Amino acid sequence: MSESRVAEFGFFTKDRTACFRLTAPHTAMGAYSWWKEPSWMVDSKRRRMTPNWPWLLSALTLLQVNAVQAHSLKRGSAQDLKCTTKNMQVWDCTWTAPVGVSPGTVKEVCIKDRLNSCHRLESTNIKIAALSPGDHEVAINYLNGFQSKFTLNENDVSLIPDTPESLDLSADFSTSTLHLRWNDRGSAFPYPCNATWEIKVLQNPSMELVKLVSFNTTLSGRDIVHHWNWTSDLPLQCATHSVGIRWYIDYNRFSGYKVWSDWSPLKNVSWTPNSETNVFPQDKVILAGSDITFCCVSQTKVLSGQIGKTFCPLIHLYGENVAIHIRNISVSENSGTNVVFTTEDNVYGTVVFAGYPPDIPQKLNCETHDFKEIICSWNPGRPTGLVGPRNTDYTLSESISGKSVPFKRFETLTNESYRLAFQMLPGQEIHNFTLTGRNPLGHAESAVFINITERVAPHVPVSLRVKDISSTVVTLSWHLPGNFAKINLLCQVEICKASSEREVRNATIKGAEESSYLVAVDKLNPYTLYTFRVRCSTETFWKWSKWSNEKRHLTTEAIPSRGPDTWREWSSDGKNLIIYWKPLPINEANGKILSYNVSCSSNEETQSLSEILDPQHRAEIQLEKSDYIISVVAKNSAGSSPPSKIASMEIPNDDIIVEQAVGMGKRIFLSWHPDPNMTCDYVIKWCNSSRSEPCLMDWIKVPSNSTKTVIESDQFQPGVRYNFYLYGCTNQGYQLLRSIIGYIEELAPIVAPNFTVEDTSADSILVKWEDIPVEELRGFLRGYLFYFQKGERDTPKTRTFETGHSDIKLKNITDISQKTLRIADLQGKTSYHLVLRAYTHGGLGPEKSMFVVTKENSVGLIIAILIPVAVAVIVGVVTSILCYRKREWIKETFYPDIPNPENCKALQFQKSICEGSSALKTLEMNPCTPNNVEVLESRSIVPKIEDTEIISPVAERPGESSEADPENHVVVSYCPPIIEEEIANPAADEVGGTSQVVYIDVQSMYQPQAKPEEEQGIDPGVVAAYKPQMRLPINSAVEDFAAAEDEADKTAGYRPQANVNTWNLVSPDSPRSTDSNSEIVSFGSPCSINSRQFLIPPKDEDSPKSNGGGWSFTNFFQNKPND
Amino acid sequence: MEDPQADSPVSFLPHLEAKIRQTHNLARLLTKYAEQLLEEYVQQQGDPFGLPGFSPPRLSLAGLSGPSPSHMGLPLSERLRQDAAALDALPGLLDAVRRRQAELNPSSPRLLRNLEDAARQARALGVAVETVLAALGSAARGPGPEPAATTALSTANNAAGIFSAKVLGLHVCGLYGEWVNRTEGDLSQLVPGDVA
Repeated sequence: MSESRVAEFGFFTKDRTACFRLTAPHTAMGAYSWWKEPSWMVDSKRRRMTPNWPWLLSALTLLQVNAVQAHSLKRGSAQDLKCTTKNMQVWDCTWTAPVGVSPGTVKEVCIKDRLNSCHRLESTNIKIAALSPGDHEVAINYLNGFQSKFTLNENDVSLIPDTPESLDLSADFSTSTLHLRWNDRGSAFPYPCNATWEIKVLQNPSMELVKLVSFNTTLSGRDIVHHWNWTSDLPLQCATHSVGIRWYIDYNRFSGYKVWSDWSPLKNVSWTPNSETNVFPQDKVILAGSDITFCCVSQTKVLSGQIGKTFCPLIHLYGENVAIHIRNISVSENSGTNVVFTTEDNVYGTVVFAGYPPDIPQKLNCETHDFKEIICSWNPGRPTGLVGPRNTDYTLSESISGKSVPFKRFETLTNESYRLAFQMLPGQEIHNFTLTGRNPLGHAESAVFINITERVAPHVPVSLRVKDISSTVVTLSWHLPGNFAKINLLCQVEICKASSEREVRNATIKGAEESSYLVAVDKLNPYTLYTFRVRCSTETFWKWSKWSNEKRHLTTEAIPSRGPDTWREWSSDGKNLIIYWKPLPINEANGKILSYNVSCSSNEETQSLSEILDPQHRAEIQLEKSDYIISVVAKNSAGSSPPSKIASMEIPNDDIIVEQAVGMGKRIFLSWHPDPNMTCDYVIKWCNSSRSEPCLMDWIKVPSNSTKTVIESDQFQPGVRYNFYLYGCTNQGYQLLRSIIGYIEELAPIVAPNFTVEDTSADSILVKWEDIPVEELRGFLRGYLFYFQKGERDTPKTRTFETGHSDIKLKNITDISQKTLRIADLQGKTSYHLVLRAYTHGGLGPEKSMFVVTKENSVGLIIAILIPVAVAVIVGVVTSILCYRKREWIKETFYPDIPNPENCKALQFQKSICEGSSALKTLEMNPCTPNNVEVLESRSIVPKIEDTEIISPVAERPGESSEADPENHVVVSYCPPIIEEEIANPAADEVGGTSQVVYIDVQSMYQPQAKPEEEQGIDPGVVAAYKPQMRLPINSAVEDFAAAEDEADKTAGYRPQANVNTWNLVSPDSPRSTDSNSEIVSFGSPCSINSRQFLIPPKDEDSPKSNGGGWSFTNFFQNKPND
Repeated sequence: MEDPQADSPVSFLPHLEAKIRQTHNLARLLTKYAEQLLEEYVQQQGDPFGLPGFSPPRLSLAGLSGPSPSHMGLPLSERLRQDAAALDALPGLLDAVRRRQAELNPSSPRLLRNLEDAARQARALGVAVETVLAALGSAARGPGPEPAATTALSTANNAAGIFSAKVLGLHVCGLYGEWVNRTEGDLSQLVPGDVA
């Protein structure tokens, strides 16, 4: 495709080149003349050297006249002599008469070295026979006596052939091809000589050169007609084309000049338009990817041109004719690519089919199925894109026989594979096939050379039949269509059992014509269902045929090859012997087992039981404990099997240790030591351990030379205990060699061990548990896990044992024989949570838990009481001793001497005030209605005063005060001895309160004074006791005190509170007590005149004691230096 | 027979009425088939067939042309006679188109089958119309020699280029639709209670 395009581009290039070459000959000739001129001038100079001056003058004249005559003369020859030849046999010479000489005055021309070489004539032209090579002196004599001489040589002669005449110029408009035909007139020339032709094609009306081509031929001495074809790019219908031709002869023995002939007269080719078709080319098939030009001949203006739906620019030719040029056209669809020109009043169009030439047929294969015809198949390769009449036609040719077979196409055929049948000729084995594919764009072929006897792929064997010969031999017959008389067939028989086991057997059979073939198949199994099928090839293998249809066949029965496997068990009561046997496998039963015969024989007799039909594989015989031999025989329709025998005697099982084994998956591995005494097979039987006797699930027989086996059964289940018994067989009968209990797979127990608490003490618990039943254990018991921790029932903490909990104590009991456990080091009277779990290799079983409370530990309790008491006593004794020894210091520190209040005049004043009631030591006056009055006992005033220097301003326990009066309980605290007495006060009761007089020993007040402020701070509202004015400024009441102090400063001495106006009688019950929740209320009691604070003489104002008034921490610390 | 000049439905015998109705139904069915045929034909010819701007001028087929605008002005029997004549000419034309398409589109079995069916159905409809005409007492033109249109088309098919054959095929398929449609319209005027 690209080559074609390049070729066409080349075509245009050549044309352009040709445009120049049209003038090139003239130019070349001119150039040649110009180039020859100096040479000629040199020759003239040489001529001047001659003494013949008149001739020289004449020659100069000729030189001037014929200056443009280029190549006619040689050095020393006359310049105006020009000789040409058309055929190298006759020279045609002309010259110009000298100046002043009439051309008609020529008398004769003489050639010097020729006989009779003078030719009379009266013109300046002469035709002479070709001269031999070399210089010839020519003399031209004129009537007037003038003579011109010059040398003539063949080199000076120009060979100019006659103008060629084209015989015929025709055009194939359908293909836009011009055909030119002309005669080379070779008979006129010596031969062989070469001729070069040049043909030009001009396109009208502009006479544009569209093609110039040259080529060589050889003239053979005969006239030969030549042909030249040229396909125009532009459809010939769209423009008139003219063709001209010229030539040039190259004869190597001719040494003169070779000159192109003149162009022949142009011949034209034009198309006569008709009304039917206006667009060209019509229905052309072209190579996809190539370029093509479409033109439209129209009398009216063409509006558009398009290919498919793509509009193309119009190329105006002449008149209204237009063209469009399509580059790289793509493969057309089936119905072709439409090219449409639209004019003002019509639509014209054509269809172009762009596709590919046929691909080389691929995978050409020729073979025969039956030696009647040869089937050749191939793959067409790349699709051509052309269909219908333009599709590829295939022809299969056989060169030896010369036969050809066309391929009949079916349009629905796919491109996958084509097939063609070639009828075989009798006796021909070698074939040379050539398959040729051809379409309008080209052709391609493929060849194969075969010996047909080596290319045999037989048909499928048919009519397969099977015939029994015996229970193990059958014959197969089948029909194979075809003539295979001259070859041997190789056939395969596939034998397939029902168990999908496949076997292929080969058989070589001599071929025949349209025959059936027979083979025997042996070594089959009796009573077995086989599936047969056959395929064939030839000995010189090429291909197998397809497999024939399958044929199923059941071989006939044979007697069972052996007796069934037997075993026996005594019944639990020991009276009956149960005989078990296994059904024979199909390959040993050799037929359908119909029944079994069981017989028992002893030395005395033989007892035959009734026939037992097949599905039953068990028989029970009532025997005495004597030795019997039990025989079991299987029967099918072909006969009975050899008997299987087994002794009835008990099998000793002494001193057998039961072993354990665990399997894997559904298999368990058993091994044993070889025993040379075991002469016949070993037998391993097994049963579920939970089954009752006689226990038999299954058994297997192992050859006596084996020492191990793997027992596998679908009946095995994980977590189930099985008993395995290994019996060895001796001549004396079976002997139990090993007894094994095992699991295929151990599982975790499904129940927890049942445990109880046997004994409980204050520090230990004894638990006891029971065994887990084997069915629920589901594996070999490996131990118990015992957990315990403190815990009450239903306490979340103890509901489950969390792993890793530090409180949990764990005991792993690996001694599975242990059934009790004592847990020691427990705490008395404590609840414990106990858990017990069993485990196997299959995992941990469920847990069982229990809560147990240990008993109380009395000794510990006693110890716990006695030790604190003893410690308290010891501390008390030590403290007493210390106090006793330091009593003086204590006395000085805590009980310094106090002035006697009897010496105070205030007491006298007190007496006068309280004179009305001698019994009363305190004054209670209205409106003060205290609920609680603390009275300082005055019965032993002096000693008491001496002992009670320290006075607590507030000696109230909140609890007691709240109990006494939850509302407002005002207690007038004093420091009496600790005599507590409740006095009824009806008057106070009447006003809704109780009056309580508390006698408080001053010494007992020592301790509460430690935190006076805190107590006030806790409930200041409740503490509304007597507050002497000398109190430390602890709370807001101090302000009152400060006011009083200021007043005292004004008086400059003791001012008793006798001035009742200054008393602040504030009581919760007082009418003036408007706010029960107010701050601490100072209560100035008239009885406070008895207070020692009042008794302190003012003369000691300067001293801290007198200034401070009463006991305080300050005083305490101030007194310390005195210590 | 009296020419059923009136274009209005008249009362016919039941079997005639059934025949007319049956023929009308056939024509109506073929109208849809003709549309499908034209669509399928255009689709298989490649661009610019089927493009909106492409409308080649009608080619004249000797002996068969499209229904003239004055067709409706003719008496019903004449219209039916023209319908029958056109339907008689169409099968040959459709067969010629099918043969050409078998070369151009051999792998388009549906188009070929539709063309074959169209020829058969046109023939059946033509015969049915002629039967109706005969029943109405208006004899149709008897089956003459091969219609000129068929001959012309066959000649054109062989001589003219493929493009012209495609355009001719398009024209024939269009004519088929037009005549079937026109026949359906003419028959509808005979169907009682089905007057447009």
